[in-house]
This record gives sequence, C-alpha cells and structure tokens, in this order.
Amino acid sequence: MDPSGGSDPRRARLLGLGNELLADDAFGLLVADEVAARVPELEVVRSSESGFALLDPLTGVARVIIADTIQTGKAPPGTLLFFDLDELAGPPAGAPHGAGIREVLALGRALGLPVAEQVWVVAVEAADCATLGGAMHPAVAAAIPAAVEWIVAAARGLKRPDCARPERSPR
Amino acid sequence: MAATTTHRITIDPVTRLEGHGRIEIFLDEEGAVDRAYFQVPELRGFEKFAQGRPAEDMPQITSRICGVCPTAHHMASTKALDALYQVEPPPAGKKIRELIYCTFMVEDHALHFYFLGGPDFIVGPQAPAAQRNVLGVIAKVGVETGQKVIAMRRKLRDLMALAGGKPGHPVFGLPGGVARPLSEEDRDKFRSVAAEAVEFGQFSLEAFRKLVLENSDYVELIRSDAFTHRTYYMGLVDGQNRLNFYDGLIRVVDPEGKPFASFTAAQYVDYIAERVEPWSYMKFCYLKPVGWRGFTDGAQSGVYAVAPLARLNAAEKLATPLAQQAAAEYFATLGRPVHHTLANHWARLIELLNAAERMKELADDPQITDPNIRTIPTATPREGIGVVEAPRGTLIHHYVTDARGVIRKANMIVATQNNAARISLSVEKAARALVSGHNVSEGLLNMVEMSFRAYDPCLGCATHSLPGSMPLWIEVRSHRGDRVALLRRDSDGSIRRE
Repeated sequence: MDPSGGSDPRRARLLGLGNELLADDAFGLLVADEVAARVPELEVVRSSESGFALLDPLTGVARVIIADTIQTGKAPPGTLLFFDLDELAGPPAGAPHGAGIREVLALGRALGLPVAEQVWVVAVEAADCATLGGAMHPAVAAAIPAAVEWIVAAARGLKRPDCARPERSPR
Repeated sequence: MAATTTHRITIDPVTRLEGHGRIEIFLDEEGAVDRAYFQVPELRGFEKFAQGRPAEDMPQITSRICGVCPTAHHMASTKALDALYQVEPPPAGKKIRELIYCTFMVEDHALHFYFLGGPDFIVGPQAPAAQRNVLGVIAKVGVETGQKVIAMRRKLRDLMALAGGKPGHPVFGLPGGVARPLSEEDRDKFRSVAAEAVEFGQFSLEAFRKLVLENSDYVELIRSDAFTHRTYYMGLVDGQNRLNFYDGLIRVVDPEGKPFASFTAAQYVDYIAERVEPWSYMKFCYLKPVGWRGFTDGAQSGVYAVAPLARLNAAEKLATPLAQQAAAEYFATLGRPVHHTLANHWARLIELLNAAERMKELADDPQITDPNIRTIPTATPREGIGVVEAPRGTLIHHYVTDARGVIRKANMIVATQNNAARISLSVEKAARALVSGHNVSEGLLNMVEMSFRAYDPCLGCATHSLPGSMPLWIEVRSHRGDRVALLRRDSDGSIRRE
C-alpha cells in the first residue's frame, strides 16, 4: 500500500471533532463544514462524542484526517499544529479519566480491527473549550481558513503533516 | 493542624493548562499534609446558556453537553419536560425509554470495566506503568475477549441507533413519550442482543472472579483503608426499593446502611445542597438535612456518593435474579454497606448484568410494541425536574419556564458533582498516606488515578481533545505556599519531576 495514502480523496476521511456549544471547541466542526463544501468527494464525518465512541469514525478507511482543538499551553490560541498521530512520543497512557484518540486507535490495532493506518491531525490551540454558549476566540476563528486549505491540499495528496509538530515531552 | 498555620494560595482555575487534572497538596509547618485539593476542568455557564431557549430543545441540546453519555442527558432532560408539561407517558413510551436506557448502560459499563478500569484490575496496580494501559489489558485478557467486548458494543450501539437515533445524538425522547414505536422486528433484535448481553455480563463477572477475587492482594487492596470512606450513598429505586436506572425515588442510606431519606426528583432541593469552594468552579453537593462539616466522612458529615457502589448500597435489592445473586456474593464478601471506593468496578459489572437482564424483560414485555407511545402535552408549563441514574451517578435536570415554555432558570446536577466531595476525600487520603515532607512517590500518582478511575468522574474536559488522555499534575506546596515538588504525568504517559 502506498504509505502516503495516495492522492485519492476517496481513500481518506475527514473527522471533524468538537462541540459547537463549547466556545473554541466548535473549530473542528466548522472546519469540517467548509471542507465538505470544497471537496465533495471527500467523506466528512462530524462528531461531538469522545472516548471509545471514536472507534467507529476511525474504522474502515486507510487515512483519517482529524480537525480538533488542542490545549498544550505552549502556544498562543489560534496556533495550528499539523502532525501524524503516530509521531507523538510513547505508548498511550492509562488515562485517569476517559480515553483519548490514541488509546482508541491503539485498541483497534491491537484487536486487528480495520482502523486507519494513518491518522493526520490538524489541531488549533484553543483558549476555552468549557464555556457553554461561549464565543470563539478571534484567533481560533481566524485559523479556520488555513486549516481548511491544509486539509484540502492533504486530501489531494499535496501536503504531509510536516509543518509543525507538538513539542515532545521529555521521556 | 489548624488552618491558620497554613498559608493560603489563591488558585486561578482559569489557566491555559486547564486540560489536565491538577492536585495541590499543602503541607503544614512540620511538613505533614494539611489539605489536598483536586482541580479538574469542567463545563461552565449552563444556566446562562439555557436561559431564553425553548425547553423543548433541551433534550437535543443537553445530549451534546457530554461526549461520553449523551443518552443520560437526553433522558434526564426529556423527563424534566414530562414534569414541566405535567404529562405522563403511556406504558409503552416509558418502557421503550427504559429499554434504550438499559442498552446504553450495558455498553458504557462494559467499555469502562475492560478498557478504562482494566489497567488497575486486569493488568494490576503493581504492573509497570508502561503496561497499565489499554494494550496491557488486551495482553492480559487476550485478543479474543477484547474482540468480544467490541462486538458486544457494536450490537448495543446498533440497537440504540435503531430505536433512538445516532447514539451520539439521541432523538427518541419527547415530552409525554417517545418519537416512534417499537416494531415486532425491532423487538426481536433487542431480544436476541439482550440474551447475549446477559451472557456477556455473566462472562465478565466470572472473569472478575478469576482475575481479582482469586487474588488475595487485590481483595486486600479493595478493602484497604486507603480507599475507604464511610459516607452516605444515593441512588434511584423502584416502588420496592430495587435499583432502577431510569426512574423512581431517590433513596439515601446512611454510613450504617440504614435508610436515611427517600424523595422524588421534584424534592431534590430539600435534600441536596450545593457548595462552592473558592479553589474550584465545581459545586460540591452535600445532604442538606445533615449539613456541611467539611471534607470529612461519617454520619455527621453530609458528604455522600453516587455511581455503582452507591447505587447498590442505596437499593435494598436488585430487580433481576442473576444480578441479585451476584450482589449477594458482593455484599457477603465486602460487608454491607460497602465503603470501599475500588469496589465500584465490581459493582459496575453487577449493574451491567442487571441492565442486561432488564433489557431482556422489557424486550419480552407484550406491551412494549403497543403503538400508543405518547401522551400529547396540553398543560401550561411552569417548572420541571427530571432525574436518571447516569452510568456515573444521579443526574438531575431542572427547568423553570414562562407560560410559553421558554426557560427562565435552569440547573443541572451532574453525577460527578454528587461525588466531588468524596473524590476530594480520596485525594486527601492518598496524599496523607504517600506524601512525607517534600517527598512525593510515584505511588501517589497511581493511587490518585485508581481512585479517579473507580469513580469514573465525568469531567467537562472535552476528552477527545488531543493528544488524548488527561494529564495529571501533583504539586506539593509548603505552609508558606512555595512549590516544593511537582510530579506530573503527561498525556503521553511520561512521568516527570520538577
């Protein structure tokens, strides 16, 4: 299999994660809406669920591109990160609460389920994902077009997640 | 040590690093633990958000509040609308709701036991940190069992989608009933999956016996003082004081297990008080008739618990035979009431079996395919309160509206608020046992995490937010407020000391 996933958008899926009720957390869903309008042949899935519910949208396709928020605290709100989930350091941790995408993906692989071989992530540094009905930070809203452009290019095989990487924690 | 000798630190919970659990431990002048606090991110602004919205929209809106249990919010909200419009759903309407609800409960409990609680009880508390994750669980139980859990989950979610709309976006609840009847064909599907779910519940309890109960170290750990608090317990019960997830009276037992109170959802404000602490956004619930005596346990303290452990304590018995038998074994082993936080995992499996058996009963009920599924509301709305048992504990929605049904005031008590004070007790107890002077052992991280996982707190922490699991930071501060130690486990699993 072509490790890049090829340039055929039909072999990829965009997964917009977030919650439009929670301020900056609407980011992934808004990005998904715009990409869906631009690249009709790309499968676009939106989800406000978390934990193991994410197993389904990670299954049945070679590559998943995720649009989501991130809170590293190391960059100003609105900063975009593009990375390959497998490039994050270390094995998935046992979580004190809930399960993250990495745990879900690791579980799927360990069980031999047809989960995505590649998961690329476009994440925006968020300021607030916890205020119901909160407004989106202007810098986060301003990052939407660049995220959309990147995903459109990535879906057509023109981009790889090498623009920036989240800082690795020292092991 | 008197509080006056402790330097107070103002903690701003609004930090850019709020995507993690932060535990702050304050030492007294002698270097012993004075107080420990835990900070978690949580949702804010529900009341303001709800104001001015039509109450009828709330089952759809509130189901999106939590990415983990949309069905619980949908159901509590729908029941609040029943009360708001003073309408009683017909029997088939209620039974379809309960059937979908039990299906959800089985799914959530199964995933929790195997994949979230698994690192503690399946892999084991003494295992190296690198194995205490979902991969370690699969290595221990085998790929086949892991696949069995996933297959069960798939079937349960398909049923929820069939009868209730997408599991992440349930749409079945309407004031006075449900949106669509259950066909004979649907019923057959529920019957067949329910039978499998009962077998799955028995299989899981058997696995628990082998992995945990046959290991005396584990049983000792469950019983250990470090994970024990003698508090009140709360849960919903039916007319015969049997546990029910969907409906009934809220029953509370005291630390001796004796009945303390039994009340309707509408009376909750007489029994549940909410307390604000300066160091957290979270409201800490306590029993109003007992009163707040600080973060302490015992009959004099209004601190109580919800969720599986609490529900089994609060009910006199379980309504289904296999689960009742399992509960009898549980109480014979651990005493009654059970005060051991880690017993939540065992209680969760008993509840899984209970919910599966109840699914089967409801699917077999001749009335469940009755096409009369809704009573159309005609009364003028004013105030409505709804309650369900979410997987993580008692969940209450409360709306006050104008005559057009537009919300003027709203309140919500989520499971974790009920448990918040007891979680604080657990954190403090762990800190007292494992912190001495400036020395924080990694065992503390483990112990705190084990408590957290047993409660399975629902934190508004947007858990899907990358890179994944919630990091945990433990800070130790001297009596002057200086940070003397920091132990952090980041979301990639790495442990760092500063």
